[in-house]
Amino acid sequence: MAYSFPEEVLEHVFSFLHSDRDRNAVSLVCKSWYEIDRWSRRRVFIGNCYAISPRAVIRRFPEVRSIKIKGKPHFADFNLVPDGWGGYVFPWITAMASSYPWLEEIHLKRMVVTNACLELIAKSFKNFRVLVLSTCEGFSTDGLASIAANCRNLRELDLRDSEVDDLSGHWLSHFPDSYTSLVSLNISCLGSEVSFSALERLVSRCPNLRSLSLNRAVPIDRIACLLRQAPQLVELGTGAYNAELRPDVFSSLSGAFSCLKELRSLSGFWDAVPAYIPAVYSVCSGITSLNLSYTTMQNPDLTKLVSQCPNLQQLWVLDYIEDCGLEAVAASCKDLRELRVFPSDPYEEDEFDIALTERGLVSVSEGCTNLQSVLYFCRQMSNAALISIAQNRPNLTRFRLCIIEPRSPDYLTLQPLDAGFGAIVEHCKGLRRLSLSGLLTDRVFEYIGTHAKKLEMLSVAFAGESDLGLHLVLSGCESLRKLEIRDCPFGDKALLANAEKLETMRSLWMSSCSVSFGACKLLCRRMPRLNVEVIDETSEVAESRPESFTVQKLYIYRSVAGPRLDMPDYVLSMGEESPDLIG
Amino acid sequence: MSEGIMAVVKPEMKSYIWLQTVDGSIQQVEEEVAMFCPMIYREVIQTGMGSSKNYAILLPQRVNPSILGSILDYCRFHQVQGRSNKERKTFDEKFIRMDTKRLCELTSAADSLQLKPLVDLTSCALARIIEGKTPEEIRETFHLPDDLTEEEKLEPLRNISDDPRIRLLNRLYARKRKELKEREKLKNAEVEEDRVDERSVDDLLSFINSRDGDAKGVKTSKGKKKNRRRKDQKDSSSTKDDETIQKELDTSPSTKRNGEINNILEANPSRSANAQDFSSGSFSPKLEPDDGFMDDDLDPAMKEELDREVEDFARRLNSGWPERMQEILSLGQEKKSISSAIVDNGSSRTCISLNQR
Repeated sequence: MAYSFPEEVLEHVFSFLHSDRDRNAVSLVCKSWYEIDRWSRRRVFIGNCYAISPRAVIRRFPEVRSIKIKGKPHFADFNLVPDGWGGYVFPWITAMASSYPWLEEIHLKRMVVTNACLELIAKSFKNFRVLVLSTCEGFSTDGLASIAANCRNLRELDLRDSEVDDLSGHWLSHFPDSYTSLVSLNISCLGSEVSFSALERLVSRCPNLRSLSLNRAVPIDRIACLLRQAPQLVELGTGAYNAELRPDVFSSLSGAFSCLKELRSLSGFWDAVPAYIPAVYSVCSGITSLNLSYTTMQNPDLTKLVSQCPNLQQLWVLDYIEDCGLEAVAASCKDLRELRVFPSDPYEEDEFDIALTERGLVSVSEGCTNLQSVLYFCRQMSNAALISIAQNRPNLTRFRLCIIEPRSPDYLTLQPLDAGFGAIVEHCKGLRRLSLSGLLTDRVFEYIGTHAKKLEMLSVAFAGESDLGLHLVLSGCESLRKLEIRDCPFGDKALLANAEKLETMRSLWMSSCSVSFGACKLLCRRMPRLNVEVIDETSEVAESRPESFTVQKLYIYRSVAGPRLDMPDYVLSMGEESPDLIG
Repeated sequence: MSEGIMAVVKPEMKSYIWLQTVDGSIQQVEEEVAMFCPMIYREVIQTGMGSSKNYAILLPQRVNPSILGSILDYCRFHQVQGRSNKERKTFDEKFIRMDTKRLCELTSAADSLQLKPLVDLTSCALARIIEGKTPEEIRETFHLPDDLTEEEKLEPLRNISDDPRIRLLNRLYARKRKELKEREKLKNAEVEEDRVDERSVDDLLSFINSRDGDAKGVKTSKGKKKNRRRKDQKDSSSTKDDETIQKELDTSPSTKRNGEINNILEANPSRSANAQDFSSGSFSPKLEPDDGFMDDDLDPAMKEELDREVEDFARRLNSGWPERMQEILSLGQEKKSISSAIVDNGSSRTCISLNQR
């Protein structure tokens, strides 16, 4: 059959495959498919920037137009990865600058991006269209100025959650007057004021602008005129949403919002003042995504706003929503698919008593039949509640529960929460991502290893009793790709017994566990295609560490590029002798 | 009837285009239907062909009469102006329901006739068939050869794992645990039957988790002697299988892979020495007995290759797989020249036969 199928036809068939998974599968079928996929692959996803060298990617996929690269491990978001660890994108940019002149899109997550990188991007890719820097760092607004000035065809500039050295807001003025192709702009992470007139002119001359996320510095009384220039907006992130209530500002704002017929997503609302919230009521019926995680607004205003959105699919909110608010969500937002409830006061600095308990989550699980994805911070949980949630919502694909106090037991029975999480993995057969918390023994890992066959990412903290726990997960979870562990009594044995499993995964992070230096060395020697990196910030010299020394932090990932060359001195690669197998 | 007569007798009758497929057969098709295909349209307009039987338009090789019939059905429906989008969509959904082979032929044929809407429809349908499948499953569906070299297969950007090795391991662990339990219960049961089963599982497990260090004298001498005896027996009985299996291995792809293996083989000795250091430590008694087996020094590349072959053979040879696996794996280990593995559970079970070092 293959021989009668001309290449162009097969290539056309492949163009209807959208997931990386399917493209990867197709490339492994046979020689001819491998070659066709190679030459027609336009979109590449590199889950770990150190898993392969830029040269190797370019060699294999010569015609790439869009690349997505991830750098630091996820636990970097919780400050567990020290500064200077790595994740530099510069080698990628330089390699692509010469080999991918037609590159259109760069998506980066948790990487170090310098101004030099941004300048190189601006200069090298004539048809550059999309730059997404998610949780990145290392650049300043000067770098953004280069992008603005040179990328004539830029469609998307998204700086979500990045740490930018914000020197001034002038960079925005570097977009030339002839530039009109902006579709999406997200500057919500920037601190300083951008030139408002430049912003307004930019918005007014870009008729295709669909997504605009402003930063906090944009005051509420300026939003209305922006919105009037862009009635076609689909996504809006406001700036600070507070001011003394002035009727003229309110009615102007209200009028502007009512013109946004296409609006589906709202965010921002820093320091929101309840008096101004009704200005957005006119768009609520169309809203599918609401991000109120920066809003200190409380009930009843908060609940009132959310209940006005019957078509809501995605809700990110602080725990100010409380159980009663979530009950209202369960009653009014029947199409809710994703819920994230963040803690307003995780370190309990204030004496506030927030009435958010497990009951809120249980109500949402009962009322919202399409609920698939949950991230929930709370202070108490029970097995009964978890079992209830599991039975209500077997269609959950992501379940991340963070009980704030480590090792909290079931508050009703004082038992571990093994049974509750066990019910989750048993009922939710399609579960792909899970975060555990609370008091947990090895038993929960037995449940996970037995049932969580589709689980791809697992986060564990302050859980388990022995190596058996880790062993059960590594040997049982067939689809596991990422495992991150902190403060658990897991040591050498489980790790070494499942050494080969590690090569089928993207990465493993273990910090404050009981893995010895000797085991790391052994693991590395046994598995040449694993990079085993020990992070140790104590001042001891590497050679003097005994084999039994317990490593502080351990990051293991598969790679065909060999040990990396850009490690800071507190990162030790266990594989000094490892050969560089490919490339 | 000749065209002329048709014109005189029934002027309002449709005009036809004559088409000839690669097998020589000629048919006439309503003009508006045939002209829906850009390739046919161009032929008629530019060359004037197709007006009579003698001047039938020769269709591309990829269009056989049966496929042509389907294509013309498609054209006949869609060339009608007034149809709604919904009607067209419904027709397409029904139309596309056919076996994969025919779908491939149809895609190919539609492409040669430059009928883009049909190419898109069929290509999309094929993509949906491919979606979610593993490479092996895709190969089976489309009858494609498995001709990639191991090096190419191991290349990166496989962000998912569908590792047969791990599945195998889990299956074996489960089986081993089950059998350990059974053995405890039925200590006085018929020895022979049990032995056959357990031996194969033990050997498989010991292969995959072989305890290193036999050559370094870590194991009890008792076990060693017994194993040597067994080893000899094993050798003679398995040579036959060696040959047949060796043949199959030789005919399967890439000698390059074997070259790679050789390189890695040379690197083996140093690694096994290190593994030896570790084997003097022991696993915590908390873990189940089989968890006490340590990983050996096998290079992952070779293991992957071997396990893939193992699965292929298991499928092809179609016998009770535990025993067959044992033989294949024992052969595989001979190839790799790794130290012998011994099952250390106090029984007189055999080990996998391993000669060289």
